[in-house]
Amino acid sequence: MSSVIRREREKFTIPGKYLLFILTTLSIVLAVITINTNIFSGVSNTIVGVIVVPFQKGATVAGTFLTHQAEKFTTMDKLREENHKLKKQVADLMEANTQLAQDQYEIQELRKLYSLDAKYSSYKKVGARVIAKDSGNWYHSFIINKGTEDGLAVNMNIIADGGLVGRISSIGKNWSKITTIIADNSAVSGKVLTTSDNLIVSGSLENYSKGVINFSKLKDDSDRVSVSDKIVTSNISDKYLPGILIGYITTIESDSNNLTKSGTVTPAVDFEHLDEVLVITTLKQTVNEDKEVLETDSIIPDTNKKKSSENSNENSSEESSGSDEAENRQNN
Amino acid sequence: MRKFLATFLMILVCYLLQTTVFSYFRFGDIVPNCLLIITVSSGIMRGDRHGLLAGFVCGLLVDIFFGNFIGFYAILYMYAGFLSGIFHKIYFPENMLFSLGVITGVDFCYGFLVYVLSFLLRSRFAFGYYLLHIIVPEVIYTSIVAVFLYPVILKVNMKVDDIIQGSAKKFV
Repeated sequence: MSSVIRREREKFTIPGKYLLFILTTLSIVLAVITINTNIFSGVSNTIVGVIVVPFQKGATVAGTFLTHQAEKFTTMDKLREENHKLKKQVADLMEANTQLAQDQYEIQELRKLYSLDAKYSSYKKVGARVIAKDSGNWYHSFIINKGTEDGLAVNMNIIADGGLVGRISSIGKNWSKITTIIADNSAVSGKVLTTSDNLIVSGSLENYSKGVINFSKLKDDSDRVSVSDKIVTSNISDKYLPGILIGYITTIESDSNNLTKSGTVTPAVDFEHLDEVLVITTLKQTVNEDKEVLETDSIIPDTNKKKSSENSNENSSEESSGSDEAENRQNN
Repeated sequence: MRKFLATFLMILVCYLLQTTVFSYFRFGDIVPNCLLIITVSSGIMRGDRHGLLAGFVCGLLVDIFFGNFIGFYAILYMYAGFLSGIFHKIYFPENMLFSLGVITGVDFCYGFLVYVLSFLLRSRFAFGYYLLHIIVPEVIYTSIVAVFLYPVILKVNMKVDDIIQGSAKKFV
């Protein structure tokens, strides 16, 4: 019978064991390469961006449409009741709003006075839609529908509901992957707003089922930090912009070393119902390594002073590209 | 070749379903592992080579989008496909319960391995918690979805076999 098909079959007879061995080695090599460098991410991210992302966009639109339709019927009564309440609330808020508008004017004047324009309300932001969620149950990452073509870059911060969601950890032409702050393998450097004490907020799969994530390494000798204090991103975080709300302290207890405290934080963002997020297109400024060397040099008096100041001038002009590279390296 | 193409298309569809539509139907924040269903059932139906290739493709997709580096899930899914290929010798299309059993078993091993490799190694020792809240619910949800998905995969594969045989007859 057909020689065509038989020949085709003979061409593909690598025994399963060998194929398994070859592909295992290939995967290990790929893993080692992708852990250490950034070579493949561009290529692979572009390819899957072309093949998969358009469908994800379509499917998500369909999915949202369906769930919204379903919700429409189930929550009609609830909505009516809520509508009444909200109308009342609107009236109250209008009143409060006028009051706040006055305060706003005042605060603007004051800010001008102190030239504190770089507040997080004034960061440039871009809206994006969530198009896919993690295929497994172990980490909480998701995909949004914008990428390098829309001017996004790795490590840009993501916010929603006025709180921190996470950052872009991997990017393609028309999509980017967001690593959330609640993911078990992520940690953010934060500070308590009231006392400016630094702490580390880290995601936890175990605690997140109770709606909280962990914090640790809080130094608070005089017990001034208390439950329901606000936690924001700290100035010393190397990937997150300062002053973005992370959440509120829920529990707090002393560590066994009696020096630091740890506990749990309720995130400000509702991670279960994220449909749209805002990407802050400002990147955190980072010091690149050469500059650090220069600064330590300049401590040595006078000898190189002129030279180093020249260098640092050149350096600052190149800083933006240099810091990008540094961040990319860190990201891997 | 056409068999691989058919499997690849099924993988794509499943991947899209899993990341988009199923995330709206999470029960207790758990999504079923459709990619594993595809991998295991193609391993059972077509043998170890086909299974491990299907697993490799699934794993790569997951790695590129959601992994920290490429290769981790590729290896896991690949071995899942290869191991289920062992059962190809004692497989009958009519015996659905057997295939469901294999899917359930492999999914449990998969969950256990993910825990050991990416949680235990980061000193998360509360195995009981992860077992009860992530692994077992995922296994149950996956096997329920498999009850509906497996017949579809079987039908598609039989259809593909028919088409291949039909075109083979044409050459005679």
